Amino acid sequence: MSLLATRQRPPRTAPTVAPRPGLWRRIRAAKWSYAYLAPMAVLLLAFVVYPIFASFGYTFYRWNGIGEPGDYVGLANFQQILHDRIFWGAVGHTFVYAFVLVPVQLVLALALALVLNNPKLKFALFFRTVYFIPVVTSAAVVGVVIQLMLANFGDSAGSLLAKTGVTDGQIDWLGDPHTALAVIILIGIWHTLGYNLVYFLAGLQTIPAELYEAAKLDGCGPVQSFFRITIPMLRQVGVVIVVLAFIGSFQVFDLVQVLTGGGPYFATEVVNTYIYHLAFGGSPGSAAQPDVGLASAASFLYGLLLIVFSALQVLALRGIGRRRAA
Amino acid sequence: MTSSNVSRRRLLHAAALGAGTMALGGGLSACSSGSPSASADALAYWDWYVTQAPWVDKEIELFEKAHSGVGVNKTTQQNAKYADLVALANRSGNPPDVFMIPQVPSVAEQVAKGWLLPLDEWATPEWQSRFPEGTFLEGANVFDGKVYSAPLKGSGPQLQLYIHHGVFKSVGLTNPDGSVKIPRTWDEVTSAAQTITKKSGGKSYGFGFGNADNIGVLAWWLDLFVRGAGAPGGAPTGPGLGMDYRVGKWTFGTDRAYADFLELLVEWKKRGFFHPNSVSLSDEAARAFFERGKFGMTVGGVWNQPEWTQHKFTDYSLVTLPSPTTTPQGYYYADPVGNGTFAAVSAKSKKAHEAFQWLDALTSPAAGRRWVQALNGVSAHPANNDPDGIDSKPFATFVGMTEQVLRGPVPLVRNPALAAVAPSAPKPDISDVVTGIYTGQIKDVQSELSSLADKKFQLFSDAVAAVAKKGKKVSTSDYVFPDWDPTKPYTTKKA
Repeated sequence: MSLLATRQRPPRTAPTVAPRPGLWRRIRAAKWSYAYLAPMAVLLLAFVVYPIFASFGYTFYRWNGIGEPGDYVGLANFQQILHDRIFWGAVGHTFVYAFVLVPVQLVLALALALVLNNPKLKFALFFRTVYFIPVVTSAAVVGVVIQLMLANFGDSAGSLLAKTGVTDGQIDWLGDPHTALAVIILIGIWHTLGYNLVYFLAGLQTIPAELYEAAKLDGCGPVQSFFRITIPMLRQVGVVIVVLAFIGSFQVFDLVQVLTGGGPYFATEVVNTYIYHLAFGGSPGSAAQPDVGLASAASFLYGLLLIVFSALQVLALRGIGRRRAA
Repeated sequence: MTSSNVSRRRLLHAAALGAGTMALGGGLSACSSGSPSASADALAYWDWYVTQAPWVDKEIELFEKAHSGVGVNKTTQQNAKYADLVALANRSGNPPDVFMIPQVPSVAEQVAKGWLLPLDEWATPEWQSRFPEGTFLEGANVFDGKVYSAPLKGSGPQLQLYIHHGVFKSVGLTNPDGSVKIPRTWDEVTSAAQTITKKSGGKSYGFGFGNADNIGVLAWWLDLFVRGAGAPGGAPTGPGLGMDYRVGKWTFGTDRAYADFLELLVEWKKRGFFHPNSVSLSDEAARAFFERGKFGMTVGGVWNQPEWTQHKFTDYSLVTLPSPTTTPQGYYYADPVGNGTFAAVSAKSKKAHEAFQWLDALTSPAAGRRWVQALNGVSAHPANNDPDGIDSKPFATFVGMTEQVLRGPVPLVRNPALAAVAPSAPKPDISDVVTGIYTGQIKDVQSELSSLADKKFQLFSDAVAAVAKKGKKVSTSDYVFPDWDPTKPYTTKKA
């Protein structure tokens, strides 16, 4: 009898795994978790999910927001938005804002985080607080204060630049279409720098100090340590920071609304101020009619644009992840 | 849609509105006058008057003294959000007892929605007779023969050119007797601005304004300067305004006064006559800068004066309708439609009688007299508009200017069905376009103006057609008055 013939096969029975509890039992087991989540979920459904679907219905109407919408226009609102050069200008300004602000801000935030992460630095906590203060200050307050500063001292700076020959004449920083968006981007960088600084600091503190000590023993300088240890170790947190920074930048509204209201002549109009102006009418005191239908269509189209951009971002990140795994 | 869908939707609407109203209530309490009358039984009254608030507070005080047991709880809302707040309050079924009528939606629409209470029970012919003839106009403040509102304000020149005496004197812009040389023509204005900018050594500029609030300040400049040049429509501050009734169209593209003035405006800017921060200054800041002499001339309305008076700044003059020639070719025209609708009683008010008493007090000749004395503007009651009894010299000048406001065509008199016509405004509208021209973003001025005029007429024609489709006899020709001479008063005949 061969050895093979004498080997006994294991019995064909299912592994002894405990049966999975039912959905209701699982919910009951975590009932307090659901109870704590419920208020936020209800608010989210009422004030985020419902408006998204409700506003889609409004895209087919010409409606000033008062009473029930009755003037059905089909796809005319979408057509109007797609042919509106101000909308595309606003999309352009939003992308310029995001694609200039995010890289500059991330480089600055990382540089500052490296400095503040130095254990030998005295008053590190003080500096962290100082850099974080703008974040906790409302954009509306920041906008009003900066507007007042520029109104009162902007002409002094402008005349100094003009006298020294740097500029041809005095500059109206927020009133000149060539400088207004740049000024808003600069203020945006300063205002939200603290967020990314904190994220990077948190990331840096997860890197084991032993890695740097070992690198030092191997003769690595600070630059080599930065590129060979810091950057690779920050990659994961960096991806999250980039995604969050872009999401925040694409939602820019308050700074623009307070500083320029989208002007002069739409030179700083971003998509969210464009939608706001459509939905709530024009200027105070005037009798400009709001058009909620048109605003909803613009909002929906912008949402689609952002979904496409997010999908591209996810694909790019997956590609990076795969390359890293290989 | 099933009934359950409807009820869910209604529930969510109600939840959203309830939350909004609660939030609103919190916000409102922060804005209320804080008078002793701020009790639950008091009449709720909403307005957007900020600089006029002392006058309103005084009227409340006098009203409460005269009507024992009736209080008024005033809430001054933010101007920019006023229309939304009134709409929200009406949708939630909790409107104030008396409120200033918002500009959006139209009064006709507000009446159709049942927001306003007809006042006929109290607004008897005897009561109506205290106002000037023509005050109560079907389609403006009367609908289907029922009165809904009454006027507070009369018609004055909407805009003026303000002249800072100190700046003018410091650069020698004076007459032989030492008085300030007041510019009245386009050339004189240009010359004064040039002198100030050159001779002040950088301390002052010829002109300044504050355009940051997007309230259309640059359109005010266009309006003021082109009217005197013979463009009676001026620059529209609302969707249906600014039409030249001689042809029933907007004439930006065909009347050369518009392009001529805009060319001059750009020339002034190129020559450095304007304060460099004008586009990004707020209107408030610009008012303060003018007071401090940072520029010698600005354009604005009578609403500037109370604040300057409070600051004891009275060293200025005002003129209206600066024109290319010494005699204006056009004027400001009385606005019986806009002025006729001041405030209304809510159809939901449970204290309608008291609410009317408050509206009656606000629109009384005595309140109108105090309105003028508080430098707020001219009164609906002509007897109140006597410059002789006014201490403030600049304000007396303004009140005296009412003589320059002519009676013009009123399409609603000819055809009351036009009240339902509500054209929307194009975007960009005239105030955006003038800003674009000023900042150099728009190069082809004539083409932009022609295009805007066409767009406005198209939107207007669509609005007229929409009303005609509902069976009303309206036509764009209702707005044409070919026999109107803009330099003479005009009486509109009923159709």
